[in-house]
Amino acid sequence: MKLNNPITPPQFLIRLFRLFCDPRMVEDIEGDLVERFEIRVNKKGHRKARWLMAKDVLQLFRPGIIRAFKGTQKLNYYDMFKHNLLISLRSFARHKNAFFINLTGLTSGLACALFIYLWVSDEKSMDKFHTLDGQLYQVMLNHEESGLLRTEEWTQILLAETLEAEVPEIKVGLPGTPKEWFGQMPLTYEEKTIKAEGKFVGKEYFNVFSYPLIHGNRDQVLTKKESIVVSESLAVNLFGSTEAAVGKTIDWSLLNFSQNYLITGVFADVPAQSTDQFDFVMSFDVFKGMVGDGAHWGNYNAVAWVVLEENTDVTALNAKLGPFVKERANGSNVNVFLRPYSDKYLYGKYENGVQSGGRIEYVRLFSIIAVFILLIASINFMNLSTAKATRRTKEIGVKKAIGARRAHLIFQYLEESLLLTTFSALLAIGLVWLLLPQFNNLTDKHIALSFDQNLISVIVTIIITTGLVAGSYPALYLSGFKPVEILKGRIRSSVGELWARKGLVVFQFALSVTLIVGVVVVYKQIEYVQTTNLGYEKDNVLMFKNEGKVNANLRSFMTRVENIPGILSVAATSHPIVSEGGFTTGVSWQGKEPDVEVRFSNMTVGGKFIETLGMELLEGRDFDPNKETDYGAKIIFNETAIKTMGIEDPVGKSVSLWGNKVQIIGVVKDFHAQSLHEVISPLFIRLNEEFLTDMVVRMAAGQEKEVLDRLTSFYTSYNEGFTFDYRFLDQDYASQYAAEQRISVISRFFAGAAIIISCLGLFGLAAFTAERKGKEIGIRKALGATTGSIVQLLSGEFNRMVGLSIIIAMPVSYYLIKSWLDGFAYKIDLNIWYFVGAGMAALFIAWLTVGLQTLKAARINPSKSLRNE
Amino acid sequence: MQLFNLEAVSIITTFKVNIKIMGKHHLGEFEEIVMLTVAILHGEAYGVAIIEEMETRLNRSVSIGSLQTVLKRLETKGYLESEMGEATKMRGGKRKRYFKVTNLGKEVLRQSKDQRLGLWDAIPDLA
Repeated sequence: MKLNNPITPPQFLIRLFRLFCDPRMVEDIEGDLVERFEIRVNKKGHRKARWLMAKDVLQLFRPGIIRAFKGTQKLNYYDMFKHNLLISLRSFARHKNAFFINLTGLTSGLACALFIYLWVSDEKSMDKFHTLDGQLYQVMLNHEESGLLRTEEWTQILLAETLEAEVPEIKVGLPGTPKEWFGQMPLTYEEKTIKAEGKFVGKEYFNVFSYPLIHGNRDQVLTKKESIVVSESLAVNLFGSTEAAVGKTIDWSLLNFSQNYLITGVFADVPAQSTDQFDFVMSFDVFKGMVGDGAHWGNYNAVAWVVLEENTDVTALNAKLGPFVKERANGSNVNVFLRPYSDKYLYGKYENGVQSGGRIEYVRLFSIIAVFILLIASINFMNLSTAKATRRTKEIGVKKAIGARRAHLIFQYLEESLLLTTFSALLAIGLVWLLLPQFNNLTDKHIALSFDQNLISVIVTIIITTGLVAGSYPALYLSGFKPVEILKGRIRSSVGELWARKGLVVFQFALSVTLIVGVVVVYKQIEYVQTTNLGYEKDNVLMFKNEGKVNANLRSFMTRVENIPGILSVAATSHPIVSEGGFTTGVSWQGKEPDVEVRFSNMTVGGKFIETLGMELLEGRDFDPNKETDYGAKIIFNETAIKTMGIEDPVGKSVSLWGNKVQIIGVVKDFHAQSLHEVISPLFIRLNEEFLTDMVVRMAAGQEKEVLDRLTSFYTSYNEGFTFDYRFLDQDYASQYAAEQRISVISRFFAGAAIIISCLGLFGLAAFTAERKGKEIGIRKALGATTGSIVQLLSGEFNRMVGLSIIIAMPVSYYLIKSWLDGFAYKIDLNIWYFVGAGMAALFIAWLTVGLQTLKAARINPSKSLRNE
Repeated sequence: MQLFNLEAVSIITTFKVNIKIMGKHHLGEFEEIVMLTVAILHGEAYGVAIIEEMETRLNRSVSIGSLQTVLKRLETKGYLESEMGEATKMRGGKRKRYFKVTNLGKEVLRQSKDQRLGLWDAIPDLA
């Protein structure tokens, strides 16, 4: 910037101009710029002239003046692109087999990947739709028990409101009950009764959670004690329309409680994206009234959600909240912490107070499977392209001889693989679209294929990545040929190249074997869970709700049911049996260490419970429902409980339960009252007539249908106004493992796809080898080789490769499957045969694939293959 | 050109131009002004000169960018032709590109003028 020499125009502007200007115009326009600058310097002064020149230069930046990108080469690139496309299409047409193998492999691979993407993104979007998602947390409690931490969602009724009142970072503290506690509850309007699932929630519920309201005001629907908000479909079922529902009074009942409720609002049906599915919500105040004195710091019968102030440091807040309960209740053993509400679905598992996965493991597992399947399909492409390289050597030689650079050839092959991947992707999208309903069925989801920005960008990314991965090796390999040698016809496969191809096949099959092992073990574990001895007989056991007249006259009802022919015994229970019910730490016994809290599962039963469920009594006797003294003051423990308490000869001895003395009358053999993910925990059973939610009936085997008919007609006449909704215990049990069951089925499909794709590749390679060795086979046969020896010769190499992959897959699959099984407290033993069997299966499939090809090759008449020379 | 009968060539050209003008070609306002200015400058028409002329005569500011784009477009259409001049010590030693209206260009200008006059004449009463 020489300010003292005003004649010189700013050089950097000129340079900038030269940079973008079309070279054919640069000289005269630059001259114009300079001349204009000189005129302006004289007229308007130096500063202004510079500014105006800058403006001129900027205004020159327009089409027509800007140079063409890369100058004249641009045209050539376009032509090469067209040429490559043509060559690719021709090569597809000429090598139809390879093309179809690649197309099928890539299409199914991409379809699997797309399915998995849809599934994963659906899983990840669960519970994320709430507007306050970032600030919405669930209050969790870590219970200190015998030196370990047990994490629970259940909180004290008081916790939510106390948190809101005393912690400034917490904007809203919202109490609620989980709907699982009550199951289906009857709602009656005039003569019509409908059973639906609902829960009690605090006033701010609809302000905290974004369930859209069709009628009613978010701030007001739950302010009154007698208010209920129902879902759209419940309103339509009961009243015919949502408008008709508002303002009506309906009766609600649960056990001994009943209440008239005023419908203050209607919410749109809960979306499938919500883990919490419910039909109605009621004011939490009613629940508080039901619990009464039970609302203290030692009772866990609610859940609590909180909304934090914006930009709250959750880690710091968690540290502060930790001793929150302990500060308020002496002797409490719980630590408070917050978990993002939307983490509930994927990160539900805690071990000793530390987050340890959950469904996210399946999400990760399937993401890995998707990558593997794509990799397997890509490997097919690599192998077939490099194996068939000899067919295209002339093309490469000629191209190189007339000046093609390696980069051009690399570009050509990448273009080819991208083209193929794009074809496949289009087919795959069609396939996914066709199969989506079945997939939704299988996964119990409602996924729709909507081409939003996310999906499109994912598809494009998958296409490009797969195309580049699949094309990379062939591109580098093929473009590396030396023109002189290939035009002379001297092409020798290097040792390294053979190794690479074999290595890829081995890798492919190792993946497949691992998947087979995984599928088999998952299937076996599920089967084990279904058939294992649970400590009670779950077959032929019927359960239904205890409600209406049944609840009022429980004992007489049970006696009358027992008299129905074909019914073996009847009981009632407060516990869902197949999964965890209530629990307490309120048991103490002689010799109990005062600061160790032991948690007991708490089963309240009526009738002949132990007999009905076919449990085994080790010592003592069952409850006698006709003996008044058995109610309340007598208790039965399970084996684990007795072991934990260390009581010898327990029958007849007494322990203290919630401060009352109770006498042990029996010890029941351990049974699984929780999921098999959990170790059997201490448990006690008491006879009591309150809070019995379900009736349990054992029927005689073999005549279920007749018995069921008799029971139904008896029930409907006895309990007027109620429908007989029953369920079988074994179905309840199976539904507990529905997630694993689904995963097992889906993984079977994906493993199948992976194996088929691997075999496609192997098939292509075998066909190619047989074709290449046509003359060799001809000569061998002419010299007297048998078909058998030729098949052996051709398939030997493949056998070795598959064998090696099995050896590699064993430890890998062992490690992976073991870590999955570790999630179950009760699991199958890993048998060596799972691995050997999977290996044999892979080997067998490979034989079948290769064998057909080699047999075909070996049976060709040598005169045919040798005729040409 | 001297070897041919000039009249005949001119007739052929006119014929072609007519077809072209009746067809898709027509001049934009700025294009017409630029061509007229080039014609006025008669052999001295290069970038800055054209701009200066337009600025003084029409009192409208023109950037080099917009002028050059139009010049290029008119040259592609065949209405203008250009050649480089000699280098001088002025303007950083860069040569000037002199523009000239081609016969085709003149014909287009004439057509344009006739059309406008025709339109003016057709106005019944210009009060």
